[in-house]
Amino acid sequence: MEAITALGPQDEVPGLPSPAMAGPGAGSLSFGRMVSEGLQALDTQLKTSQADLQHLALGEAQNLHEVMIRLEESRIALQLALQVRNRVLEAYQDVMKMQV
Amino acid sequence: MDYGRIFALSAAGMQLERTRLEVAAMNLAYAHSPQHPSNPGYQPLRVVSRAAFAGLVETGEVAPPIGSVEAAPVAVRLVQEPGHPLADEQGFVAYPGVDPATEMVSLMTALRSYEANVAALNTARALALKTLEIGRGG
Repeated sequence: MEAITALGPQDEVPGLPSPAMAGPGAGSLSFGRMVSEGLQALDTQLKTSQADLQHLALGEAQNLHEVMIRLEESRIALQLALQVRNRVLEAYQDVMKMQV
Repeated sequence: MDYGRIFALSAAGMQLERTRLEVAAMNLAYAHSPQHPSNPGYQPLRVVSRAAFAGLVETGEVAPPIGSVEAAPVAVRLVQEPGHPLADEQGFVAYPGVDPATEMVSLMTALRSYEANVAALNTARALALKTLEIGRGG
């Protein structure tokens, strides 16, 4: 049990501002903020590729390959977000199934 | 994203090959337009690549000016066409010194090279999507 509690402080994601600095109860908030920021970045990327497609349809696109490359980039970003969502959902369900 | 670098590199390569195609198309389009004897007229163009692809690897951004289009010092092609409105006193009409064989070869080179860039990009994309399958359906 002590070994587990000793592990406790290490469950923060390195490279992020520590929750203690962001105020009380910010540990859960910062994860939510991380997710929403990631979603926002994804949304921006998807909107950019949508605008690219509109330019293409209007015949204003400068070159085709950059439109296609941005489409692929946003596809990969969307897939990554989906995978993250799947992992988070799996973890949530595992926790909910836990017998306490 | 680290795949962005590969995408940027391939995009730069595609841009260069597209410029090459444009220049070859321009040369071919001008191949049979006679020039006025007093005018210097059209000089066949060629693409000189001054790409800094290594910089792209570092920064991961697409730098649009990759090659420069320069006029090739080729003499005009004189064709004996007496009676042509643009013929000189000896009956010669000056055409730009475009070599169709050279242009066809550069078209094919541009096409193959573009395809190679697309192949590299597709490989990077397949790699990225394959990476996202890690841990799926254990």
